[in-house]
Amino acid sequence: MTAMTLHRPRLKARRLTDILSHGYIWFCLVLFVLPFVALLTQSLGERGGTSGIDNYADVFGSFGDNLLWSFKISGLALLVDLAVCLPAAYALVRYPVPGKRVIFSLLQLPLYVPGAVIGLSLLMTYTFVYPIEFMWGLVLAMSVGSFPLMLTPIVVALKDLPLVFEEAAECLGATKWQAYRKIVFPLIGPGVSAGLLLCFIIVFNEYLVTLFVAPPDLETAPLRVFNLVRTNGLAPSTAALAVTMQLISFVAVLAFFRLFGTRHFKGTYIL
Amino acid sequence: MAIVHLVSVSKRYGATVAVEDFSLDIADGEFVTLLGPSGCGKTTTLRIVAGLVEPTSGRIRFDDQDVTDLPPRKRNIGFVFQTPALFPHLSVADNIGFGLSVKKARKDQIAARVDEMLTMVGLSGYGARLPAQLSGGQQQRIALARVLATDPRVLLFDEPLSALDKNLRDSLKYSILDLQRRTRKTAIYVTHDQSEAFAISDRIVVMNAGHAEQIGTQTDIYLHPQTPFVAEFIGANNGLPGKVTGTDGSGDDERSVVSAGGLTLRARPRAGVGPGDEVLVYLRPENLVVLPDGDGAGYDNVVDGTIERVIFEGPTAQLRVDVAGRELRVDVSGGRRLELIQRHGRVRLGFNDLTLIPVTAAAAPPPTS
Repeated sequence: MTAMTLHRPRLKARRLTDILSHGYIWFCLVLFVLPFVALLTQSLGERGGTSGIDNYADVFGSFGDNLLWSFKISGLALLVDLAVCLPAAYALVRYPVPGKRVIFSLLQLPLYVPGAVIGLSLLMTYTFVYPIEFMWGLVLAMSVGSFPLMLTPIVVALKDLPLVFEEAAECLGATKWQAYRKIVFPLIGPGVSAGLLLCFIIVFNEYLVTLFVAPPDLETAPLRVFNLVRTNGLAPSTAALAVTMQLISFVAVLAFFRLFGTRHFKGTYIL
Repeated sequence: MAIVHLVSVSKRYGATVAVEDFSLDIADGEFVTLLGPSGCGKTTTLRIVAGLVEPTSGRIRFDDQDVTDLPPRKRNIGFVFQTPALFPHLSVADNIGFGLSVKKARKDQIAARVDEMLTMVGLSGYGARLPAQLSGGQQQRIALARVLATDPRVLLFDEPLSALDKNLRDSLKYSILDLQRRTRKTAIYVTHDQSEAFAISDRIVVMNAGHAEQIGTQTDIYLHPQTPFVAEFIGANNGLPGKVTGTDGSGDDERSVVSAGGLTLRARPRAGVGPGDEVLVYLRPENLVVLPDGDGAGYDNVVDGTIERVIFEGPTAQLRVDVAGRELRVDVSGGRRLELIQRHGRVRLGFNDLTLIPVTAAAAPPPTS
């Protein structure tokens, strides 16, 4: 009898911890998923007698162009980011650049500055000072806003990569460029793919800078959502576009962890 | 296969001197080891030969070609690093073929060479594996195969065995020597491990504080150290400061008489060392013989002491003997060690082979300037 009464509270305490920890996980999940569920419900709402699924027909119909622009702008911005960040990261890590830390901190600036401020400064830059044709202003603006997210994981990956691999390659007769292309680049793959993922998610979903910089006839998907919500409120078809965008981002993250590239490009740097 | 010349090579990092006025000529096919404690400049010297470090002054020549200003890839060298440094994303075969593929060799030529190299290092059939699937010793053998595949003029080794366990080190060092002998390539090997250096070298360069203390064969360095550093760094040694007081005997029997810490010792004279000179007297522990009491015939020096401590080390026993207030180490091997480990108290030691090193040699170039 006494043994049982002694035993019980211990068992109870363990169960309580179990319940609390499970409860906490579910609470977090609900907290994160709830907005998405709300949006999903809204997107499936009926309007004027048509079924909720028809809302999604709009996504690939009248909103198709907007999605296409988003993909185009994101893809080009990623290319610009890569072209800038790969050599920049190499120079920052491998060469004795004076004031390295200060430069690196300054390069992070676009992350600290509010989007509206960046948007305004980019608008001034690309519209008045160096007017650039059509979408390239937007692509450059996106690159400026997102490249720190590309640069940082590549810098981290390079710092983790011992110099001895490059030295071995050079001693075996490789030029600097061959050593970079055949050895360094594949080995910093996880950093590069992490950068690509982060930049894609940011650029693909960005609307504030787009609002400032995009030419009148160019409307990306997030900007379309913003404009529609501003003028019509949250219509079910708008919600459907928003849901689609969330799904695209989700698929990008999944692809990053599961499919991206070979064993050397898997997103090991984030986990 | 080449003759390697290092001509007055120096390397400074700001005020720190890593290598100071280092000159060395290495014959075609010779195996030379740079031996020294960490921070003595041996790795820097090797990296200068490879072109991975630019010397502050001095020249490097392979045969008649001055390679000082050439990048590593144009020197045709084979560099084996401390870690195998195999490219982790490439298969063993692609690693070995890397040097040939960057030189745009034909695919079938590369494949043939890779097979040849795998056989040479005894790992044929491992080509398709990834480096991570090999043991440390296998990885280092592949690293060796990778540099040999390019048929380099000079082989450079930067402590290639230091990351491996002892048994593997012992077997692999002979593999390295064997491959070097078979390919007849000039080799420079850097290590801080004396037994490694003694096992595989044609010549050893003992380095300290950025300069060569002594260059010679194993026996030169062990039996005839030229500086106190070499005498103390190579093997165990008993060092006693003393002063030459005179000479004794003549011809082959001529001996310098040295007064060292209350002892009067007789040593073979050394050129340039005469009465009045300050010297360091070195006695190897294995040259000190424990004498049966009353027997001293055949020894230049006979001293009495007290056994302070006996350490049984397996094949040898080490005695610590207090002689006139100084502790001398005596190594005893063979059957006598078992008898001696029981002994305490007073003991008589006899010895002949003393090395005299003038104290001026201790005032060698300062380590940094």
